[in-house]
Amino acid sequence: MRLAPQSVPYRALQKAGGVVVFLVFVVNSGGFGLPLAVAAGAGVLLLALGYETAYYRRFEYVLTEDTLDIRSGVVSRREREIPYRRIQNVDVSRSALQRAIGVAAVDLETAGGSSTEGSIRFVTPAEATRLQRAVQRRASDAAAGAEATAGSEASVGPDEEELFAISSTDLALVGALSFDGRLIGLLAFLSSGSFPLLSSVLPEPSAAALTATAIVGIAVLFFVSWVLGAAIAFSNYYGFRLARAGDELRYERGLIRRYSGSIPTEKVQALRITDNPAKRALGYASLSIETAGYAPGQGDDSGNESAVPIASVDRVYRLAREVESFGAPEFSRPPERIRWRYAVRYAAAVGVLLGVAYGVDWYVAPDLPWYGVTALFAAVPPAAHLKWKHRGYWLGDDHLLTRNGFWGRSVAVVPYYRIQNVIDSRTVFQRRWGVATVVADTAGSGSNAVAVDFDADEAETIEAALTERLADAVAERRDQGVRDGFEWLHGEPGVDADPDSSVDASDQTSAADAGEQKPPADTGESRNSADADDLEVPDDGVVRPDFSTGDRDYSDPAERVDTGDYAVDRRASDADVPFGPREPDDRPGSGGARDAAGDGTTDGIRDAEPRPTEDDRDDDAGETSRSG
Amino acid sequence: MLRAALLSALVAAPFAVGAYLDLLPRWAPVAAGGVALALTVTHAVLRYRRWSYEIRDDALYLDRGVFTQVRTTVPLVRIQHVDSRRGPVERTIGLASCVVYTAGSRGADVRIPGLTRDGASDLREELKGLAIRAEGEDAV
Repeated sequence: MRLAPQSVPYRALQKAGGVVVFLVFVVNSGGFGLPLAVAAGAGVLLLALGYETAYYRRFEYVLTEDTLDIRSGVVSRREREIPYRRIQNVDVSRSALQRAIGVAAVDLETAGGSSTEGSIRFVTPAEATRLQRAVQRRASDAAAGAEATAGSEASVGPDEEELFAISSTDLALVGALSFDGRLIGLLAFLSSGSFPLLSSVLPEPSAAALTATAIVGIAVLFFVSWVLGAAIAFSNYYGFRLARAGDELRYERGLIRRYSGSIPTEKVQALRITDNPAKRALGYASLSIETAGYAPGQGDDSGNESAVPIASVDRVYRLAREVESFGAPEFSRPPERIRWRYAVRYAAAVGVLLGVAYGVDWYVAPDLPWYGVTALFAAVPPAAHLKWKHRGYWLGDDHLLTRNGFWGRSVAVVPYYRIQNVIDSRTVFQRRWGVATVVADTAGSGSNAVAVDFDADEAETIEAALTERLADAVAERRDQGVRDGFEWLHGEPGVDADPDSSVDASDQTSAADAGEQKPPADTGESRNSADADDLEVPDDGVVRPDFSTGDRDYSDPAERVDTGDYAVDRRASDADVPFGPREPDDRPGSGGARDAAGDGTTDGIRDAEPRPTEDDRDDDAGETSRSG
Repeated sequence: MLRAALLSALVAAPFAVGAYLDLLPRWAPVAAGGVALALTVTHAVLRYRRWSYEIRDDALYLDRGVFTQVRTTVPLVRIQHVDSRRGPVERTIGLASCVVYTAGSRGADVRIPGLTRDGASDLREELKGLAIRAEGEDAV
């Protein structure tokens, strides 16, 4: 399929517009005369038109069975295939001008890469919607398996169920409560240029008049930035709507520039509920949904496109539970002694401020009451208390919730399944107080779930709990995947072992086996995911890996099968074979996994080892007899 | 250790320039370099002592850091890919490092430095094998 034809002149104007204006201006003022200027401008415009026509002719996208293929590029060609399952979210945006012309920009985000992966500029709005729906349908088909495909071809898509639509009161509140500090800085910078002007108007600046102007100026600055912030928020969130259609969330918003997009619920990495003192007092909060689609560099602006700007706290939590069903959180706070840490920190900050004030006083104006800063010391204890009070974490059934911050309080909801790694860090100062910070890192775009300043022992418990629950969640998913229709090359799906029992069993065996005590069903799945077509399953039904690095001693060389890029390990016994370094004491702390290095690998020894489950043993025994 | 030497050389350099221009006494670069060397060597030794990694049942576990102690747990199911890497400096002294990547945003890559050349590639292969066996979905 091709782009909308209107996009050619629009893109040409968009690209060349600035250049043309600049050229006309320069050439005209350079004394070459208006005709030449117009000619140069027209030339550039024609060039741009030609390029864009070529771009249009060479841009092609196709919705295939399981990928979206985009072929593009005039000078250097690029063909890109994006598997539907990997698409994180689809965003459609239309500015006022684009709406007038009747085009829309479609952006497809995947987790890879540093920029938007599939950017289609521009198609007609109807085509944009069709694309969005088609991608979503195929993505869910791909996830659900083959049998669903037939049914959903006929249907247009699941019905939309509206979750949230912003009311005008809410919208007014968004405007009123969105005060952006950055705007003040910008305005101050801009208006600083007008001070000389102002001072020339004022006849004889007396000290009192100067102070009055300064105060009025600052007040005006605040007011203007507040109004501006409100206007921006208003135009951003005008007509905000969040809906759920099947297993995907859809949002729409914007006054001048319309945004709409869809996020598969499967791709939600984390939820974030934010509020500030004003919102808390009025009983409101905001909710944002994070996916892995937006690269870190793209920042909050794009990552928060799906955020519910404001809603009553109840509603926000209801919405959040709709997406991720966490229970009623009960946060546990850091130890109380940590308030002293904050108090010391703030006191130190005030002390530094005091020093600066004194320095300013000493160098510049000898009469300023620099010791007035000491009044801030009074604010230290309440500030420390508030900081402590608003920290917390909660380990739910399937989610980790963390809470931080007083001025901008944010509650992060991270499903255990989404955790990528767990980081526990302690600075010198934290060690003195015996506390630690635990970060649960996800692939999401925003900041992660952070439990700050918890007791060192507690932190270790959290860390262990997170890793364990992640493993459980992964095992659970795998079971679900099994039931939802993976085909088995070998083995029955019923023998899938309980993850807990496998963990218990591995405690008794050496550390090296532990990771390998997998239920037999796992291998079946991995064989499915590892190119099933290329695999040659030997007669005994056992696929053996080829870790070609080590001089590995296979007791039975005939059973060694080259599986290409993928190594699939069928036998638990293979864990005993060292494919790591020979010397376990090579490095500090590296011992654990290699303790078992050099053990024998004969079937006899292997069978004598403890097994995770009865099923597993039976299965293995059966294999041994078959192969022997 | 080598890093310490390099760092101290860097610290000493401006002092050396200063001495060359007769702005500072002649012993200044030597003293500064010595102090820096002592400090950085101590830091390097502490760093080395502290650095440890361990491959557990279902996760790679790293413990490191002198001033800020960081413990990272990388579940094997979440490993995306593994590099073994040998920079120019590492090559000259026969060392290598192993880098483990996850899809995370903050701890997207963890580096295990100071391995021997074979050690790094063996570790890479081992982690590769474990990651394949753990067969996780990337959850993104």
